[in-house]
Amino acid sequence: MTQATMDNMPGSGRTLWADAWRRLRASKLSMLCLGIVLLYTALAVYGEAVYRYHRIKDSTPSYQQVDLDKQYLMPSFLQNERAWTQHPLGTDGLGRDVLERLIQGTRIAYQVGIVTSLIAIPIGVILGCLAGYFGGRVDDFIVWLYSTFAAIPGLLFILAIAMVVGQGLLGVYLGIGLTMWVGLCRLIRGEVIKHKERPYVIAAQALGYGSFRIIFRHILPNIFHIVIVTFTLRFPASIGTEVFLSFLGIGVQGEPSWGIMISNARLRLWHGVWWEMAFVTLAIFGIVLAFNLLGDALRDAMDPRLRSGEEHA
Amino acid sequence: MGFYILRRVGQMIPTVLGVIIITFILFNVVGGSPAAMTLGKNVSPQLLEDFDEGRGFNKPLLFGLWSKTRALEDSDFAARPDPWRETDTVAHEADAGVVQLQPGEHALPLRFHLRAETRYRFRMTYRLPENSEAYLRWGTRADAEDSNEASYANVERLQPSTRSQTVRVMFEVGERGADLKPVIDVVQGTLDIEAMDIRRRARHVFDSQFVHYLGQIVRLDLGRSAQTNERISSMIRAGIIPSLTLTVPVFVIGLVVAISLSLICAFFRNSWLDRFFVVLGVALMSINYLVWIIVGQYVMAYKWGWFPVWGYESMAYLALPVFIGVISGLGTDLRFYRTVMLDEMYKEYVRTAFAKGVSRSRVLFTHVLKNAMITVVTNVVIAIPFLYTGSLLLESFFGIPGLGYLGINAINSSDVDVIRAIVLIGSVLFVIANLLTDICYALVDPRVKLS
Repeated sequence: MTQATMDNMPGSGRTLWADAWRRLRASKLSMLCLGIVLLYTALAVYGEAVYRYHRIKDSTPSYQQVDLDKQYLMPSFLQNERAWTQHPLGTDGLGRDVLERLIQGTRIAYQVGIVTSLIAIPIGVILGCLAGYFGGRVDDFIVWLYSTFAAIPGLLFILAIAMVVGQGLLGVYLGIGLTMWVGLCRLIRGEVIKHKERPYVIAAQALGYGSFRIIFRHILPNIFHIVIVTFTLRFPASIGTEVFLSFLGIGVQGEPSWGIMISNARLRLWHGVWWEMAFVTLAIFGIVLAFNLLGDALRDAMDPRLRSGEEHA
Repeated sequence: MGFYILRRVGQMIPTVLGVIIITFILFNVVGGSPAAMTLGKNVSPQLLEDFDEGRGFNKPLLFGLWSKTRALEDSDFAARPDPWRETDTVAHEADAGVVQLQPGEHALPLRFHLRAETRYRFRMTYRLPENSEAYLRWGTRADAEDSNEASYANVERLQPSTRSQTVRVMFEVGERGADLKPVIDVVQGTLDIEAMDIRRRARHVFDSQFVHYLGQIVRLDLGRSAQTNERISSMIRAGIIPSLTLTVPVFVIGLVVAISLSLICAFFRNSWLDRFFVVLGVALMSINYLVWIIVGQYVMAYKWGWFPVWGYESMAYLALPVFIGVISGLGTDLRFYRTVMLDEMYKEYVRTAFAKGVSRSRVLFTHVLKNAMITVVTNVVIAIPFLYTGSLLLESFFGIPGLGYLGINAINSSDVDVIRAIVLIGSVLFVIANLLTDICYALVDPRVKLS
């Protein structure tokens, strides 16, 4: 018996998670994506640190300082001067460093991605579990609730929520968070219905465990990979929506979010200032691509049954 | 079959009700009256009240008899003396949180005349020291038109006490709203007012915002835009055609391209071509929609001059938005349909077909494509209602006067009624499309009816 078949045998002393990690690690592309995600995360943490530092010190951070002498500086790697360290990605129309603003944009994107997930995941998981496990009227009600939410045109719904709550990040959080739980809830419900009939659940019921203990201690750990995969695939979607909302002026105010940078860069593009636009685009592209690929890889690694079409090939 | 359709229509009703409830909660309960947002800050309270009146925002939310009026906002005087103005006879005692009235007649500081032929309730919490004397008077007496004294029809004596008292009076405004002048007449001593409010009585218990909203829906009259004062129903009717001229080509071309490419992927699966399309799909998906539009408009329309930049005059104006719409959605569609095709490729009937020597292309185009169509059609029918809302960004960037453009404008000008109408109609269309899909399924596949 070869090592590979030994590894795949049940009871070989490895948890499902370790198994998933091993499968994930086998793909170089996934590891590259994980690296990119970690890099962005580090930048977001750095951006948060800079932001906090200036807030505590009550000083204007350099990414907000207007310096009209430095308007529209080309990215320094395109210049012959030895200004390498100064503005590697150039400056915008108010002389602010594009790189620093991009890092702040990363911070806001992460903030939105994380907070919206913190809103959507608990709602989706709890409602999905309750509907799937209890069935009957509870199920009817929850299915009614999510089919209602699913019927409302998504982007308009988000815009309407953000508009009603008012400008600022709170509206963005609620708008995205309150619409994002629907898909997760549906998936979790379906999966719980399947698991409800499994012997381990019936055994737990026979032992007289309470419903909530069975749901949250027994079933949930077995389907938690769905939450992780959904999180990974929804994260870039929330970032995209945040960019869109900030672009429309509904999102964050007075902070360099990617959407606001695009909105500013759009007008400057017509005057031939291309770099701000180009680097924002690249920044968004990088993170969204990394998350999308990582999400696919995670899905394949954690639940071989859910394999996407690519794995058939 | 008839019974199945009936049951399915029955299932549709709760969802439509749900949409109505959610839009109501969102716009009326959470959002509240958009009057100040829409009209601006420096508008008279009377105008705000008229705005609310026209849109039913001055009614109770669900049910109830009493609702607020902007003529007198609820006041407790802890922070500001509003709406009283401090004068010789009116003093604001911020520490005690009261407004103190010196002897004399004090008209209630109403911002505008109360509405004619309506009942109101006035409530005031006050403290009147012992051996002081004060009255609340209201209503013009019919026979006292020209006499100067005692011209009030009703009098309520305020009770002197060491503790705070609450007086509550109802009054009816006559035919002319101006007739009613509730006054507080302090004869002796000082009157400390701690709080006061005024409520208007509704016509009946269910004269509420929710019933008003339901009525609008039943009458199919969604009100008027706060911005242009146009009927919203006619605005939407005018916007549908431009929206469809954009979204239908995007949808159809996108579908054809995505399905063709996915068939190529399935045909050449595992080859470099397949891998290329997979990578291309993810890459296309990851480029932000905004960037597609901005860069596409800048490069192809402005720099290279291939297309008109902005407007809606001829077919040429639609070419670029359609192209951008197709390419930005291609990644997601391609991935989806490729998965659908490949899932089908691993079914047993395909293996059988190959085994009996059917050619690869014949298997793909006659067997697989036909069976994959079930999934494709579901996906298509579900997407159709979303064609109606148009494309928010494409339309506003390229100046196509459709519903997306309308929506963005309404959001920019906080035109709540327009947004609510678009959201509501979009949702109802979605529910109807779902119903149609299910009925089609039932027609094709008799097993569906049983479940």
